[in-house]
Amino acid sequence: MRVVASGEQSPASGPGALESLLERVAQGDQEAFESVYHAVAGSVLGLARRVLRDSAQAEEVAQEVLIDIWRTASRFDPARGSAMTWMLTLAHRRAVDRVRSAQASANREHRTALRENTPAFDEVSEQVEHRLEREQVRRCLESLTEIQREAVTVAYYRGRTYRETADLLGVALGTIKTRMRDGLIRLRDCLGVAA
Amino acid sequence: MTDADLHALTGAYALDALDEREAEDFARHLAHCEACTSEVRELQATAARLAGAVAEVPPPELHQRVMAAIGEVRQRPPRTTVLPLRPRWRPRGLPYLAAAACLALAAVAGGFAVQARHQADQQRSAAAQARQQAVRLTAVMSAPDATLHAGAVKGGGNATVIASRQLNQAALVYHGLPEPAGGKVYELWYSVNESMVPAGLLTPGRSDGTTLLSGGPRGAAAVGVTIEPAGGSPKPTTDPILLLPVSA
Ligand SMILES: [Zn+2]
Repeated sequence: MRVVASGEQSPASGPGALESLLERVAQGDQEAFESVYHAVAGSVLGLARRVLRDSAQAEEVAQEVLIDIWRTASRFDPARGSAMTWMLTLAHRRAVDRVRSAQASANREHRTALRENTPAFDEVSEQVEHRLEREQVRRCLESLTEIQREAVTVAYYRGRTYRETADLLGVALGTIKTRMRDGLIRLRDCLGVAA
Repeated sequence: MTDADLHALTGAYALDALDEREAEDFARHLAHCEACTSEVRELQATAARLAGAVAEVPPPELHQRVMAAIGEVRQRPPRTTVLPLRPRWRPRGLPYLAAAACLALAAVAGGFAVQARHQADQQRSAAAQARQQAVRLTAVMSAPDATLHAGAVKGGGNATVIASRQLNQAALVYHGLPEPAGGKVYELWYSVNESMVPAGLLTPGRSDGTTLLSGGPRGAAAVGVTIEPAGGSPKPTTDPILLLPVSA
């Protein structure tokens, strides 16, 4: 059997499916937003839960982020990266802002508690059903050195600054910045990420 | 801070691990450092993959709250008034894609709620399967390399194929398919080197839905649909009523 081009096909060349959807969201298309929601809500919520470690707050932040995607879709610039990256960067910043403002009112005891509770990726990924993606990311995280892996996961999944991360891991400030960078670079190469 | 110091901050910036002031300083540096800008772009895309790895199935109430809210929330206008000149890409299949995908996922989510009330092991495993199906659908739709092709089905209805070679997975969203006569079924195929490889059946008696294809689109040129005897067949016995490419 041969593949015949039919006039009814609509190839999604150029921008990806999600980029095109976001462009329609920016025009106020609620159906397009519905698709965007289903594509991203699971990651937004999962990420908020890792960073905030509290179900109610995670759902609040996820809701804010999703509404923000609707509100600011016109600010998405495909020349600066993929739609998924734009949305998840927004989500991470929002979760981090929340955890840091809570932290500003907290104190040293809080930091001590954190030190006893440093996350391993195993713990983080336990409840995840996103099997393919999870396994690839896990495999690639394993290819990092221990310090690289901890620097990246503590900062990202816990929303810690590099200063706090250095403090938690007992590593010099200069070293931690470098480990975050070369850890992410190694992860990028392992995952085959292109901007 | 010297430039060399600043260049070293790409990783911490991509992880949102700089404090507010440092992040502002670094953002200013990005405005005139091309090397850092492109590195940050890649590292942010990498960090986003860490979020994808902890995705979960969101509760239906979150969907309800968000959809209710967007009806009320005013959108921001674009930052510039200059319109891009590139042609707008508008697939014919998309308006129903959104609704169909939503219905399919809502049905899956609704299924959990009902099944959560019963504790039978069998039902739990069915719920787990449905959950995994929903998560995979989300993954395909959000894959960075996902392609989307829509077409009309001969005999009635429309369908869209969403495929990701990276994940080696494809999904079919269909709408308005008539019930085939004589207890026949819709069977899905991958077209690989001009032969057809079975990729599963559509659930009989449903005119709308979303389904993951079994097998993967790697090496395939297209996805086809034929009408086959009940239970499906190992090779197509009729001409395809839909054939859509799976590459970009
Ligand atoms: Zn630089």
